[in-house]
Amino acid sequence: MILMQTIAIFVDAYRELNAKKLFWLTLGLNLLAVIIYASIGINERGFTVLFWTLEGLFNTSMMSKSTFYKFEFVTWGVPMWLSWGATVLALISTAGIIPDMVSGGTIEPILSKPIGRVRLFLTKYLSGLGFVGVQVLVFSVGCFLVLGIRGESWEFGLFLAVPIVLAFFSYLFAFCVFIGLVTRSTITALLLTIVFFLLIFVINISEALTISSRETAMVQIEDAQEQVKSQEKFANKRIEQYQEQGKAIPGVDGEPLPPNFDDSLEAVNPTLSFARENLAKAQRKHDSWDTWASWFSRVKFVLPKTGETIGLLERNLIDDDELDGFIQMMEDLSGENSNQQDPRVNERIEAVYDARTMTWILGTSFAFEAFLLGLSTLIFVRRDF
Amino acid sequence: MSAVIDVQGVEKMYRRKVHALRGVDLQVGAGEIFGLLGPNGAGKSTLVKVLMTVISATKCKGTMLGKKIGDKSALTQVGYLPEHHNFPKYLTSRQVLRHFGAMSGVDRKTRNTRADELLEVVDMTDSASHKLGTYSKGMRQRIGIAQALMNDPKLVVLDEPTDGVDPIGRKDIREILLRLKGEGRTVFLNSHLLSELEMVCDRVAIMVHGLMRQQGTIDELTQGRSGFRIKTGSAIDEQTIDASKAAVPGVECAGRPGENTIVFKTNDAQAVQPAIDALRARSVVIESLGAHRPSLEDLFIKAVNEHPDGARPGAQKAKKGKRGARS
Ligand SMILES: Nc1ncnc2c1ncn2[C@@H]1O[C@H](COP(=O)(O)OP(=O)(O)OP(=O)(O)O)[C@@H](O)[C@H]1O
Ligand SMILES: [Mg+2]
Repeated sequence: MILMQTIAIFVDAYRELNAKKLFWLTLGLNLLAVIIYASIGINERGFTVLFWTLEGLFNTSMMSKSTFYKFEFVTWGVPMWLSWGATVLALISTAGIIPDMVSGGTIEPILSKPIGRVRLFLTKYLSGLGFVGVQVLVFSVGCFLVLGIRGESWEFGLFLAVPIVLAFFSYLFAFCVFIGLVTRSTITALLLTIVFFLLIFVINISEALTISSRETAMVQIEDAQEQVKSQEKFANKRIEQYQEQGKAIPGVDGEPLPPNFDDSLEAVNPTLSFARENLAKAQRKHDSWDTWASWFSRVKFVLPKTGETIGLLERNLIDDDELDGFIQMMEDLSGENSNQQDPRVNERIEAVYDARTMTWILGTSFAFEAFLLGLSTLIFVRRDF
Repeated sequence: MSAVIDVQGVEKMYRRKVHALRGVDLQVGAGEIFGLLGPNGAGKSTLVKVLMTVISATKCKGTMLGKKIGDKSALTQVGYLPEHHNFPKYLTSRQVLRHFGAMSGVDRKTRNTRADELLEVVDMTDSASHKLGTYSKGMRQRIGIAQALMNDPKLVVLDEPTDGVDPIGRKDIREILLRLKGEGRTVFLNSHLLSELEMVCDRVAIMVHGLMRQQGTIDELTQGRSGFRIKTGSAIDEQTIDASKAAVPGVECAGRPGENTIVFKTNDAQAVQPAIDALRARSVVIESLGAHRPSLEDLFIKAVNEHPDGARPGAQKAKKGKRGARS
């Protein structure tokens, strides 16, 4: 009976989406995305778009066909299409599931059936995820075939996109369901969820910015410390020289100095005071960025990690050395004129992100989702319809 | 009589302090058609929703089909037609029936055959594959009733089943109700259409402002209120009334000067005869003599009028535009 009811709910969800023409429309758009994916390629001479070749530097010597397609999948297919385009489409399609169910006249016959409210609610939630699962699966199968046929590599790891995108979508959907249940309005649920999505995005970017500024400041501190050290050494040498020669250490204005060691260092080497000032400045800069960064991190801790969840796919699908040729090329292209970031900064930033393990990313995100879903279920169970 | 529904002291306090049920007792016996009457906002639908677990009662003791109220497993054997239902418009009526059948745990094969049978019963076979969105109100109501029967229920709960149905359709529904009773099912219904309840119900209850005022068979409720009525050709006066009273000692007799009916509270025709003689002796023209039985409507109006304090606030709270303004 449980199975029968679950199937009935899923079939009903499908029919509802189908009636709104959303099911096949979204599926069609997903296939279109696959076709676009397939139409772009790479060969010995350069880029290809459909049957045309744009001759250029960028060709198979730079990157193998399979890497190109994988790269395209993780830089374009997943972050641009699945986590933006398809997600917004999926939200539009599924935002109505809960508000429609709890609307007056519709909920009564459902509630009077022998199915517990908790199970009813969660099954409805899952039916929304199921819809997205089908869409992502179709897209992934399409891309898998393209990668296999055109990229000549059968990459089963690509199907990781299904659980990962599903996890990513489920965070947003939990929020959408919560708003939909509380306000009983599809449009409010949809709009607020998109706002929430953007908010997370903005917080992610802000956090990334603060972290990068902090790490830049950190590198500056290191540099300044070097500077201070070498200038101190230099000053000490000077003082030794004076002492060997039996001369008094001259003050800034040639006056004799009070027996203060530090000041005497600065007196013999005025650059040292600049170096020290720089160090203090960098320190202050670091501290203020660090405050900001830790605030953002705290906010992020409770919010779902949408960006990082999607990032997991890239981590798992592409080896860094596969991209070496490409990275080399990008560096060559950008040349000396661009003000390249210090590689030490990049290293540090990467270290910060690498410290975020998959467990941390998924754990905290699912905790958020579980909390919202639990709250929604509680509201649903206790509400009088 | 084994009770299918047996609840005591049901109370429901909605948020914002609307005391919709104030201690309702209700017994519905197996195999009977039970009608619940009451003015708008009396709490009828609220009571039904409590039984159907759509809302939870503030206080509730008792059982339905031997299970505690709120126990979902009892609902496998219950069919329910909600008051303002709104079944999925994107489904055809056959799909609606099958969907709710599945939700009630009816297996696929039974579901499919029963859906077709029920469409026949409610006379909707012709439009069975049209989407519900294209239906008229009465057609949706028929589908709603069919939906309530999908799981072969022991107890059928119908909240205003004849809402929006034309007279022929109402007759059909009455026949369905009697047929359900014939099949041994128990039927519980809410209705405003008193004459209809009178025709099919074994027992009725009258609810006013969250309390049961009367409960029993129609005979029980009308007992002591039935009698004979003499209709005269012209208006009667005080003396005529007194004369007829004097002619039938021991029988309560009522009439008003200026009107042309006199009512005798007895079920014995013989006992009224002396009054006819007395009237004839005064040359009063008698147009008819007939058995008089108060209708359910009389009872209803009487019950509401006996508790006017109760009826008003309920009626006012029913303003939300949600409730119909019938009878
Ligand atoms: N969801 C709700 N929240 C608050 N009050 C409610 C709610 N539903 C009903 N009520 C109130 O409870 C009272 C009883 O309503 P109910 O719908 O049970 O009346 P009813 O007897 O079915 O009326 P009608 O004959 O018009 O259908 C009314 O005063 C109504 O305003
Ligand atoms: Mg009602």
